[in-house]
Amino acid sequence: MSYCVNCGVELDPTARACPLCHTPAVNPNQPVDTALPPPFPSRREEVQPVSKKELALLLSAMMGSVAVCCGLLNLFFLHSSRPWSLYVIGAAAMLWIWLVPPLVLRRMPLWIRLGLDACAVGVYVYLISIDLRGLDWYLGLALPIVLTGGAIVMALGLVLSSGRSILTSVTLIIGAVGLFLMGIEFFVDRWLTETYQPGWSLVVAAVCVALMVPLIVVRRRPALRDEVRRRFHL
Amino acid sequence: MAKPQRKKKAWYKLDNAAMMYSAIQRENYSAIYRFSAVMTELVDPEALQRAIDKTMPRFPTFRVRIKRGVFWYYFEPNDAPGPFVKEDMKNPCQPVRFWEDNGWLVRFFYYGRRISLEVFHALADGAGALTLLRTLLAVYLRERGWAIPNTGGVLDITQPPPAEEGEDAYFRYAKSRVRRGMGERKAYQNTGTPEPFYTLNVTMGLLPLDRLRAAAKGYGASVTEYLSAVLIASILARQRREGRRRELPVALAVPINLRPHFPSRTLRNFILTVRPSIDPELGEYTFSEIVSQVHHHMRLHITRQEMQAVITRNVMLQKNKFLQLAPAPLKNLSMALSYRLVGCRPYSTTYTNPGAFPVPPEMAPHIQRMEVILGQSYTPRANCASISYGNTMEITFAGTVKETDVERDFFRHLVREGIPVKVISNREE
Ligand SMILES: [Zn+2]
Repeated sequence: MSYCVNCGVELDPTARACPLCHTPAVNPNQPVDTALPPPFPSRREEVQPVSKKELALLLSAMMGSVAVCCGLLNLFFLHSSRPWSLYVIGAAAMLWIWLVPPLVLRRMPLWIRLGLDACAVGVYVYLISIDLRGLDWYLGLALPIVLTGGAIVMALGLVLSSGRSILTSVTLIIGAVGLFLMGIEFFVDRWLTETYQPGWSLVVAAVCVALMVPLIVVRRRPALRDEVRRRFHL
Repeated sequence: MAKPQRKKKAWYKLDNAAMMYSAIQRENYSAIYRFSAVMTELVDPEALQRAIDKTMPRFPTFRVRIKRGVFWYYFEPNDAPGPFVKEDMKNPCQPVRFWEDNGWLVRFFYYGRRISLEVFHALADGAGALTLLRTLLAVYLRERGWAIPNTGGVLDITQPPPAEEGEDAYFRYAKSRVRRGMGERKAYQNTGTPEPFYTLNVTMGLLPLDRLRAAAKGYGASVTEYLSAVLIASILARQRREGRRRELPVALAVPINLRPHFPSRTLRNFILTVRPSIDPELGEYTFSEIVSQVHHHMRLHITRQEMQAVITRNVMLQKNKFLQLAPAPLKNLSMALSYRLVGCRPYSTTYTNPGAFPVPPEMAPHIQRMEVILGQSYTPRANCASISYGNTMEITFAGTVKETDVERDFFRHLVREGIPVKVISNREE
């Protein structure tokens, strides 16, 4: 019989190491028995995660048929001069991208998902701009705003998905909102006047910073954090 | 081909404990436990399957599937073929899915000399499942050519199942004037690094019961009280190592079989939990003080009157008009939420000890030892369970955590007290 030199427990003759402390079992008089069956089976049974394929298929069929029907109606019957069906088709495509990939690809990282979602919004706005013949405002204003928003949400998702405290999350979200609004003003200014004179967004950003500073202080001071937790506990 | 005549199926309601276990059920979590008998000879799977086919009709409360009604789940007799004995696997106690595997909520496995029975907790508690396993083992040994009498807790499979075995005993004893509830403090959660989906790490310790009993007696405690104290001490040490600024109480959920206190022949659930705990903020406890605290807590609170008050409260909760009228999905959601928020938070872990597994003397030479595994917990932490057979006490830690520190401290403590421990595990080394 071999014993763990660390724990003093007897080990199974088939054990290469102590299951409690992982110290290798070294016994010159009795090497590890590889012929004996181990105390537990080594065959792992893999369980298939519940498949959401049916739901994904149903959603795809619904969106697809709505898009095709509207497209046909638009082409042959109703107001064929205006591509109004692009609104419906775009909405269906956007919903599809939002809902279906997460159902089918459950291992998809959150930031890829958020990036895809932002792209879907961009594509939808593009389809709208086709109808309104507004490619210039799309490229100059809408696309930059959507991309900035998407990038900020992606970064936020990446940071928050690794499990932050409520205080940290709230601080980061407020910061992200401030940043996004500053981005909007930058693009709006550049689109309208081709200059950048920060105005209202600086006020909002200042408010955000004013909100964030106490939160950071509370986060850093354990005594304060405890106090807040005590008063606001659920 | 003639259509089989559709009989009206005799459905029945879930009992109080079953309601909780089925409501907190999720895709990756079910309350499952396993009892195993390690025989002295290699298992013959065909004889075992014949034994299962002969035994199951005697146990109608295990031959059910669970269905969702508008307001509550309910049980319905399961006439599907099976359950079929399967080759055992490395990761036991997998969650059940109510619509898979023909709706079976019991499973049978064999590996080498081991016969295992897995049960969804909504069907039965440990005492009920052990009656099924004991009878199954007797029938199996008969299939192998031994003469085993229907004594010592082996049920006669030629007899029709009596109705009392299927009673909801909680209901019968919910007669107290006072309702006593929980409202316990949050305990240290004892969680660790989670393993990937569907991994259950099992570590078993085998020790001589007489030496263990002597050690427990040295502290004036029973084996359950003594082992609970060792477990609490190990978890206290773990919390200390984490270096928390403010330490939380360490509390165990210890299920108590109610049958000795409230006579019932039910094979369904009839348990309550007691909560021995130690609050390290009060100061240092020596080990003998922990044993004494656990001992007195158990003796003080395991009384017929107090337990009846808790039963009454639990049953009244389920009779609450608001709760009754809420649709089942909503009820499940709210129960799962409240279990997450309140139910598992007052406990650091579960320790269950069904005690000795008695068999008729004719069966004894064919069984080497018994084993028990509590399936995965709602949060990543290890549960503890023990069962004794003959002079072998078997203690299992099972959980979905990578760390081994609680079981390491636990078994090292026993070794230090002079009890020899043999450890086996399914972990990869
Ligand atoms: Zn060791």
